[in-house]
Amino acid sequence: MTALAGRVSREARNGLLLVSPTLTYALLLLAAPLALVVLLSFWTQDFLEIHRDLTFENYRVAWTEPIYRALMLRSLKISALVTVFTVILAFPIAYFISFHVPTKRKPLWLFLITIPFWTSYLIRIFLWKVILGFNGVVNGSLVGLGLIDEPLSFILYNQNAVVLTLSHAWVPFAILPIYVALERIDRSLLEAAEDLGDGPVRRFLRVTLPLAMPGVLAAALIVFIPTIGDYVTPRLVGGPNGLMIANMIELQFKKANNAPLGAALAISAMVIVSAISIVFLWLNRRYLAGRGG
Amino acid sequence: MCHFRKFAGPSLAGLLLAGAGTAATAADDGLIVFDWSGYDDPGFFQGYVEMHGDVPTFSFFGEEEEAFQKLRSGFQADVSHPCSQSVSKWWQAGLIEPLDTSRIERWDEVNSVMKEAFKFDGEYYLLPMDWGSTAVTYRADLVDAADVDSLSVFVNPEFAGRISLPDNVDDVYALAYLAIGLSDWTEATEEDFQKASEWMREAHQNVRTYWADNAELSQLMASGEVLVSWAWNETPVTMQGDGYDVVANRSTREGSSTWFCGYVNLANGPNDESKVYDYFNAWLEPSSADYLVNEWGYGHGNEVAMEALGTEVLDAVGLGAVDVPLLAQKPMDHSLRERMIAEFEKIKAGF
Repeated sequence: MTALAGRVSREARNGLLLVSPTLTYALLLLAAPLALVVLLSFWTQDFLEIHRDLTFENYRVAWTEPIYRALMLRSLKISALVTVFTVILAFPIAYFISFHVPTKRKPLWLFLITIPFWTSYLIRIFLWKVILGFNGVVNGSLVGLGLIDEPLSFILYNQNAVVLTLSHAWVPFAILPIYVALERIDRSLLEAAEDLGDGPVRRFLRVTLPLAMPGVLAAALIVFIPTIGDYVTPRLVGGPNGLMIANMIELQFKKANNAPLGAALAISAMVIVSAISIVFLWLNRRYLAGRGG
Repeated sequence: MCHFRKFAGPSLAGLLLAGAGTAATAADDGLIVFDWSGYDDPGFFQGYVEMHGDVPTFSFFGEEEEAFQKLRSGFQADVSHPCSQSVSKWWQAGLIEPLDTSRIERWDEVNSVMKEAFKFDGEYYLLPMDWGSTAVTYRADLVDAADVDSLSVFVNPEFAGRISLPDNVDDVYALAYLAIGLSDWTEATEEDFQKASEWMREAHQNVRTYWADNAELSQLMASGEVLVSWAWNETPVTMQGDGYDVVANRSTREGSSTWFCGYVNLANGPNDESKVYDYFNAWLEPSSADYLVNEWGYGHGNEVAMEALGTEVLDAVGLGAVDVPLLAQKPMDHSLRERMIAEFEKIKAGF
């Protein structure tokens, strides 16, 4: 120990000392449980007994059974839609705050955006049930105006409702990174573009958007990765056909007495999400490189 | 090969115990009851309060699987409250210990069919306490009573998008078995299972959403979105109280179902057993039966006390005798139940 300490410089020792509480925390509460889940996914369970012989059987089931594939694809589809809607909704708001709100009012606007977080997420979901319900705000208004005779049923208890509820909930998470990216844009570049003859649209597409891309990408990842694992929203507004992969994972750990299969499904979902994120990052890099060249 | 407990135990036990410590502040910590929320109503165990001067300490769970996982990972309580399908699972996991029936004063008055159903290796493990019926429940002001005299209402295309079934595998399969003409699911054959699953697949097409609890179903039925449901008898009792014309029909041609829950003595209880039996004895008093039936609309495990309430009271809350098939949700083989769970999930996912 002392020999090792002697070889490590004083500066490095201080650095290690500084990082060690966080590192220990991360290893103990993130890496160790994750390793346990990975290990669990190679075991099998028969009712209450865990068999510790390593096997790929859980992964075979997770990747070949049609029900798991269908739920995984459905989750990916819902998350992708939520990501697209969220970013499209968030960009104009972030743009407005960054470019049109006077500097001294910006903190107030950002503060206002966080207001939805003062309400519990569960309560916001229930509010959507009130808005979209059979005799809810939307149906009540449409029937009252005489536009429809029967309440619309396709707006609640299906995948549309899940997409809508999640998009609403995640918009603030998308606004903030896009706003930060827009704030960092050197305004003189925009002037230069105008001086060189770009109209507002070309200026946006050639200067503003590429420079805001890191923020858009961050927003997309921040929304896409957690929404795929959401299970409260589909449970409450998803109806008979709106359940997602996380609901199945929960079921395997609890009622179905098959924690290893649940672990294999969870790891599979993680791998898929990571792969998509990497592809996404790579596409973005190519887009930016193409712009630069 | 190992027992699940050994693997999950040490890591979580500490955390959960810390949580229990903070929960156990007020009340008498000489008895910890791990229960469904709502059962801390002192009306159920007045005798215990009188004897010990305080209510026991309560910790709550939202559903039995959650309770099971919490207990297996080391949570310590003296008494808990599982329902029929969980008892053998809890027993096999070593979570519960046999009841000393000599210390239960009114043991002879306890519903004999229910208590005998939970005799494992010659010992009694469950003190049956609350039960109810699951039956066709409908908006009498919007649905013709003739439509709901058969369980085929759930596969009637006329009610597409206007029915709701429980998100509960036992209630749902009770319905499906009754619909195909079987009233004792412990005798179900492979063919019956397939037929029942087929029937559910058909009913799934009509389902607006699967309800998780009484509050959710009540909202669905109050708005008129759902007209017909397969529901516990508390739904008509509470909704009539709120002025809705919601009625249960337990006498459909194919019948209805009954579920039951009760108290178990947990094996790792930290406290003295005498309070456990004081608590059980308080619950079995006729006054508790009266309170449970009239305030909650549930049946009580004390058969003698139930009879004493009279048929009029029981009929009013939907617990009286019926002359149609009655599927009691008796414990079944766990491998069959796992298949039911898997099949129900497939049906819900649209397969």
